[in-house]
Amino acid sequence: MFKLFKEIGKTGDATIGYPFQPLEMPDGFRGKPEHNEKLCIACAACAIACPANAITMELDAEQNYLTWDISYGRCIFCGRCQEVCPLFAITLTKDFELAVLNKDDLRESCSYEVAHCARCGKPYAVAKEVDYARRVLSKAGGPAAADIDKIDLCLDCRRFDDAEAFQKQARTRGEA
Amino acid sequence: MSTKKQTTLRVGETHVQAVRDTFPGVVLDATWQAEDQVTITIPVDMLPDVVEFLYYGRGGWLPNMVANDERPLRGCYVLYYLLSMEESDPGFVVVRAEVDPNTMEYPSVTPRVPACVWSEREAFDMFGLRAVGLPDERRLVLPDDWLEDLYPLRKDSMDYRRRPAPVTDVEDYTFLYEGNAEETTQVPMGPLHITSDEPGHFRLFVEGEDIIDADYRLFYVHRGMEKVAESRLSYDAVTFLADRICGICGNAHSVAYAEAVENAQGIEVPLRGQYIRSILLEVERLHSHLLNLGLVCHYCGFDTGFQHFFRVREKTMDLAVLLTGARKTYGLNLIGGVRRDILDEQKLATIKYVRELRNEVEALVDMLVSTANFESRTAGIGRLDPAVARDYSPVGPAVRGSGIARDVRFDHPFDGYKFLVGMSARSHDGCDVQSRTLVRVEEFMDSLDMIEQLLDGAPEGPIQTENWQYTPHKYALGYTEAPRGEDMHWAMVGDNQKCYRWRAKAATYSNWPILRYMLRGNTVADAAIIVGSMDPCYSCTDRVTVVDVNKKSSTVLTKDQLEGYCRRRTHSPLAGKGW
Repeated sequence: MFKLFKEIGKTGDATIGYPFQPLEMPDGFRGKPEHNEKLCIACAACAIACPANAITMELDAEQNYLTWDISYGRCIFCGRCQEVCPLFAITLTKDFELAVLNKDDLRESCSYEVAHCARCGKPYAVAKEVDYARRVLSKAGGPAAADIDKIDLCLDCRRFDDAEAFQKQARTRGEA
Repeated sequence: MSTKKQTTLRVGETHVQAVRDTFPGVVLDATWQAEDQVTITIPVDMLPDVVEFLYYGRGGWLPNMVANDERPLRGCYVLYYLLSMEESDPGFVVVRAEVDPNTMEYPSVTPRVPACVWSEREAFDMFGLRAVGLPDERRLVLPDDWLEDLYPLRKDSMDYRRRPAPVTDVEDYTFLYEGNAEETTQVPMGPLHITSDEPGHFRLFVEGEDIIDADYRLFYVHRGMEKVAESRLSYDAVTFLADRICGICGNAHSVAYAEAVENAQGIEVPLRGQYIRSILLEVERLHSHLLNLGLVCHYCGFDTGFQHFFRVREKTMDLAVLLTGARKTYGLNLIGGVRRDILDEQKLATIKYVRELRNEVEALVDMLVSTANFESRTAGIGRLDPAVARDYSPVGPAVRGSGIARDVRFDHPFDGYKFLVGMSARSHDGCDVQSRTLVRVEEFMDSLDMIEQLLDGAPEGPIQTENWQYTPHKYALGYTEAPRGEDMHWAMVGDNQKCYRWRAKAATYSNWPILRYMLRGNTVADAAIIVGSMDPCYSCTDRVTVVDVNKKSSTVLTKDQLEGYCRRRTHSPLAGKGW
């Protein structure tokens, strides 16, 4: 009994001020993911990596906009999205106060204009991503940028072109 | 080729040879999945003989049995009886047998080795595989209102999103009574249970205040994770799902799953990654054991102690935040290693936490054991007979409190545990709640030492590897010692970057079958502390219904009433109600 009272005396006040005082989290805390829609090119790397399917991407009915969407209700705060993002457009913050009164408030989304294939008109990537690829390629220059115009074509049309070029090449070789 | 005979035997080779010698011609095939894991294929009718021989004859323990629908691969169902060999030649021997999909039957091993009982019941629920001779053929995992002929884990049975409508409105589960006394009263506890706020339906068969026998119905919160993993997730995302198996020891599951795949695919985790995995597993043990010690105080009616253990436990949670970025040690494993390194300043801060925890917990434990109530409420209560333990293969502090020092960290050292010096598995032989509690106290102190040793010993270097060849349909075991005992995962990846079959066995799965033996001979007032001493990994009751079958009357006790009775042990809530 004496030990108990001694322990109680030694402990003093164990209560902390939160929620009436802010609660500081250490560096590296994995809280609410913050999406920077300006940096984001909607490449969908995060949507593929997200184990909980909290991040999803959906094309609208008219096929003009691709919507990036996160549900904090599904998020497990693993930070895989941050790890895989090529442009550091998503980072986990120290914010852990996510309670909302309305479930819809747990969602955040952002729409991106979709680029359509210059030949067949099919939507194939987000315009920002295409621009990004164009800038990277032209900066790299050299053989990497040789086919830079093809960036306006969808994957199917590019495959078709490649096949055609290959066929032509095979034919000329055969003739020679 | 050199003709020189290989002198060193592979792990498990002596066991395979012993089976060959005892049952000539039975071993059709023996293959090694990993250094310490061998799978032998035998004809299905030899299962009881071979498993019994390995279990009792060669010092084997049985974590569980895995059933698998391999009809798309080889046209049959396959059973894998996992055996952990813990006497000579320690390692894992898996007994594999193919079951004909036309008969769907195999001879039950349970009459020979009782530890198989839950696995064989589950194999029927999930696959419709019938164990002939199984003494207990009730449903285990599926609810009472599930369709008669829908077996969820068969590859051709159902989409993982399907929720079949209930076929009945009645819960018609029969509780089995194995006692001798004729006039007993049934005390149902649940469907939510009293100790940990999670669902489980207990039926106590009592005579007056004495428990004669007990039976229980669990799996009210079965989430179908194995099906989700097979259907929706890619195999490398399952570590994050495995975390969510448990709210306390999730990291242990995640590591076990990752190592199952790593063992199967031959992926070598860098040394530093292995050390970090062990450190995080021990951090998890710290907060889990403090939780249980707090609960023991609570059930002894010593709530001041409970508050103090939980106050100190907060430090272990802070330690987890520091090392992983979350209060739970979630989300740090990937196939191939860990995702976050321990930096120098974190190492120093961890050592500081460890020192503080050691001093504070020593003082608290001193306080707990010198409390008069502790001794009187725990000594001799909830006896687990070592002979029963041998039959059912329980794990963790539950079995170590009965003088059997089984601990995966020392029986089959993995990760950083391979490099520990001067440590061994803890055990006490009182077989009661007190022994189990003391085991936890000692393990807590050991964990602190381990964290210090591992932090000092961790070599510099990478923490994960990314270079490996993915080979479909290879399988292996992964195992960890969670705070409650061994977690055993068996995983086979498919040809589509998904798990073909993932079987996660949590520690408590091995411990539930022995609970009825621990409850026998005790009083109703001790039921909560006995269940609590097993530290079950599921949650608890908000009310208890007491039924007198003779008078067809029922009384509903609230959680507070039953818990209060557990603490006071006077003023029985049943008094004046005809008992």
